[in-house]
Amino acid sequence: MLQGVLSRAPATDSPAAAAMKAKRAPASPDDEDDGEGRPAPGKRQQLLGLGSAAAAAADEEGPETRGLRLLSLLLRCAEAVAMDQLTEARELLPEIAELASPFGSSPERVAAYFGDALCARVLSSYLGAYSPLALRPLAAAQSRRVAGAFQAYNALSPLVKFSHFTANQAILQALHGEDRLHVVDLDIMQGLQWPGLFHILASRPRKPRSLRITGLGASLDVLEATGRRLADFAASLGLPFEFHPIEGKIGHVADAAALLGPRHHHHHHRHHEATVVHWMHHCLYDVTGSDLGTVRLLRSLRPKLITIVEQDLGHSGDFLGRFVEALHYYSALFDALGDGAGAGAAAEESAERHAVERQLLGAEIRNIVAVGGPKRTGEVRVERWGDELRRAGFRPVSLAGSPATQARLLLGMYSWKGYTLVEEDACLKLGWKDLSLLTASAWEPADAAAAPTPRRGSQET
Amino acid sequence: MDTLFRLVSLHQHHHHPQAPSSPDQQQRHHQSPYNSRSTSRSTTSTGSRSSPGSHRTHNHHYYPHSHYTSSSSYYYCDPAAGAGGYYYDHHQPAPYQQECGSDHGGFYMDEDFSSSSSPSRHFHHQPSSAAPPASSPAPTPPPPPPPAPSSASAGGHAALLEAADFSFPQVDIDLDFGSPAASSSGGSGAGAGAGAGAGRWAAQLLLECARAVAARDSQRVQQLMWMLNELASPYGDVDQKLASYFLQGLFARLTSSGPRTLRTLAAASDRNASFESTRRTALKFQELSPWASFGHVAANGAILEAFLEAAAAAASSSSSQPPRLHILDLSNTFCTQWPTLLEALATRSSDDTPHLSITTVVPAAAPASAAAQRVMREITQRLEKFARLMGVPFSFRAVHHAGDLAELDLDGLDLREGGATTALAVNCVNALRGVAPGGARRRDAFVASLRRLEPRVVTVVEEDADLVPPDPGAASTSEEAGADDAAAFMKVFEEGLRFFSAYMDSLEESFPKASNERLALERAAGRAIVDLVSCPASESAERRETGVSWARRMRSAGFSPVAFSDDVADDVRSLLRRYREGWTLQEPGTDDAAAAGVFLAWKEQPVVWTSAWRP
Repeated sequence: MLQGVLSRAPATDSPAAAAMKAKRAPASPDDEDDGEGRPAPGKRQQLLGLGSAAAAAADEEGPETRGLRLLSLLLRCAEAVAMDQLTEARELLPEIAELASPFGSSPERVAAYFGDALCARVLSSYLGAYSPLALRPLAAAQSRRVAGAFQAYNALSPLVKFSHFTANQAILQALHGEDRLHVVDLDIMQGLQWPGLFHILASRPRKPRSLRITGLGASLDVLEATGRRLADFAASLGLPFEFHPIEGKIGHVADAAALLGPRHHHHHHRHHEATVVHWMHHCLYDVTGSDLGTVRLLRSLRPKLITIVEQDLGHSGDFLGRFVEALHYYSALFDALGDGAGAGAAAEESAERHAVERQLLGAEIRNIVAVGGPKRTGEVRVERWGDELRRAGFRPVSLAGSPATQARLLLGMYSWKGYTLVEEDACLKLGWKDLSLLTASAWEPADAAAAPTPRRGSQET
Repeated sequence: MDTLFRLVSLHQHHHHPQAPSSPDQQQRHHQSPYNSRSTSRSTTSTGSRSSPGSHRTHNHHYYPHSHYTSSSSYYYCDPAAGAGGYYYDHHQPAPYQQECGSDHGGFYMDEDFSSSSSPSRHFHHQPSSAAPPASSPAPTPPPPPPPAPSSASAGGHAALLEAADFSFPQVDIDLDFGSPAASSSGGSGAGAGAGAGAGRWAAQLLLECARAVAARDSQRVQQLMWMLNELASPYGDVDQKLASYFLQGLFARLTSSGPRTLRTLAAASDRNASFESTRRTALKFQELSPWASFGHVAANGAILEAFLEAAAAAASSSSSQPPRLHILDLSNTFCTQWPTLLEALATRSSDDTPHLSITTVVPAAAPASAAAQRVMREITQRLEKFARLMGVPFSFRAVHHAGDLAELDLDGLDLREGGATTALAVNCVNALRGVAPGGARRRDAFVASLRRLEPRVVTVVEEDADLVPPDPGAASTSEEAGADDAAAFMKVFEEGLRFFSAYMDSLEESFPKASNERLALERAAGRAIVDLVSCPASESAERRETGVSWARRMRSAGFSPVAFSDDVADDVRSLLRRYREGWTLQEPGTDDAAAAGVFLAWKEQPVVWTSAWRP
């Protein structure tokens, strides 16, 4: 599989690799001159080794041949893009498209989307137009498709559930003893996460006296529909519930008062409402609008808890580094999905997988490969939210207790094979065959009284 | 090549002296593709959007908000310095916004923005092929400040110039992304009959883009291509596929790289084609769609009847030898047509089974198409084996022919087998379009050369689309010639879009969602689209003509149509019943006396034409 190839290949340091390197050096004089846009030497070396190893192997017959050829072609094409040799990149795209297929093996599938993303990137570089398209009718249609795909994703892989379960457990711990709750979801989408939380809250001997969710999103229609669904569900459980939709991005919200809502505008924390903030990362679109604005807002909001689920996917640095890292990441992810809908999978299941890959993963890959990376803006990005939150006055809350237990239960419950769970520092990491895919973490204000620290591990589930 | 808009912008500069001309200014524009915050940093939902002279750009919102009106006013702060996402509302989906104020290069942490692929690199570095100095500055200047939309009353000409100036003219395209399902499946044909798949966003945007290309309106071309690029996907729904393949064609046209792009595409396809993949695709296509089998059944019926007639005549003329039949097969169908004919010949010949020879001419994309050779070797073996099984004396020959069909040496093929041939049939399936249209009546000449072969029957199957550009005629000035070119380009583009919309739509509905065979068929169509949109007609093998127009050529070469017998018509009808709904048989209209043959229609749109002729 492509992922296997990627992780195996750096061992090669063949004469062919050296030759290739020598051959390429004069072809990219710019490379040496301008410090920008140049992959780190180490990475480049590694890449060249990779490319030639793959090329050499591609001549042989074997089940991995196609995957290796694709890998080699993708890396060559990405290199050409990185060196601004768009004509060369264009010459490689048809071959990638011919070998790849969104309906094939996992290397073929992942290559189909990376090839498509490179194609779009090359054209946008020619055009000099990089921004994502934001059309109102499109956003509505897209959010419907994404919603459908997310539900399929939820069924096909434990990633979504992992995010929901661990975050919900962390929230329950933090809200222990509170009876007025306020959850701010920075990107609520369909609100798939919250019924689970409602359920646990309703099953407790003492139900909360108030429960409020503030959801941010791009489309008010979608937000309101989400709000109605959540309200119906809460009502069926006998929970008091309010929904506060905000059409816009968190990084553009002026101040904490706007998030706290009308009643709190003038009377901060009048009811001693406990506020938690949740954010599940993805690369489908830019969620924050401004990362720095988001950090500033979180600092002034000082929520009792922040839960974050991040993709273990770096977006920093140059294009080539980002590309290779994403190729690793999504190869693992497609592999994992392939397992989920593997041998003997019904046609229906593979259609669902296709929807997930096209609507979600393929869209993310496009954004990552696009100029500017996933956010597709030129702004400063926060790469390590943990560091940033520390600087902003938060400290990590360990997820080793019941969130970890929940996550372990989750992985045990289903027949998902190959997923791994690692506790690292205070975080929980969900991986696929040793490559970490998601990291869940929780944060509280550093100066918070260490007071109601919940008894770890003794939470009801 | 890398100055995409060099040509168009030349034109634009000519017409728009007010376009930014200071290189400095342009350079500044280009450094920051996201441009910057506009100065009007509106923080409320009301107002400035439509007021004349305002920038109509909002930093902080996706949309012109009809805002969530809670009692709490929902304030936005200014984005952090240098940060901020830029979103465009749907009135003005501009890929650029104007640059105002400071240089933001410093904020771009990603090399993508600061150097490598910035447009300034692409559009500013002097192309090696010497461009006239006038064109070197900024072939794609970002829009200057949006104009005050005050001149709504301006006359047609003025309005045209204005549109070229900037930003996307006010909502002249009302795109409907509403029900993706409706456009990709179960489309019910409501829109299909009306021109180029009306109602589809892809058709709307592509036609707008083609018009802008024809008008050399670089600004608009850029904006529309940007939108199309964001929306297109070869793996999406029908709209996204059409957008993807036609965009590829437009891109090749703008970069004057059509023939090169086509070669790359064909070579990639050729390298990766195997007998197995070719066979799977051809068989799946026949199994799921009558597109190909329709022509086979009708043509085989006509050929068989003509042969049996000839065999009967030969038998009565007391020749003791079994009759020898020969088919010159000009087709791109990998002989999928012949097993049924062999079978019919074996079962329906009264006495001696006649001897059958087939000479098939394989169009090769490249002079030495390894894939085609591989595939044909395998096919030869299989056909010969099948003929033995059927008890039909048989000989088979594959002739690989690269390039224009008109250059095929028909006399060198020895179709009469030294006089032994009793009857000759010529079978042309999607082959006649392989004769590039040209001023010298090349297609008429080729049809006439078929007539000289004295065939017993000629079957012609062609896809029904009018993709031959009108004769350039005698334009007296270069300006007129330019206008003719633009008109010819638009005609072919529109018709190509109509035809391939129907094709893609029929594939989408006929094939399962996940099908590599469908993908292969779509890619082949994509190559045809690149050819049509970006390559000269004089080198093209994709210039389909309508059935009526081919009928006219056949008649003028001295052929008369042979009506399909009731048996054949019944065969075709029962064939169509095997496929999903949407396919019908159409007789040619009576308004054209030259018309002949029958049409296969998808949702009432004729798509394939089949006919039989005799001298």
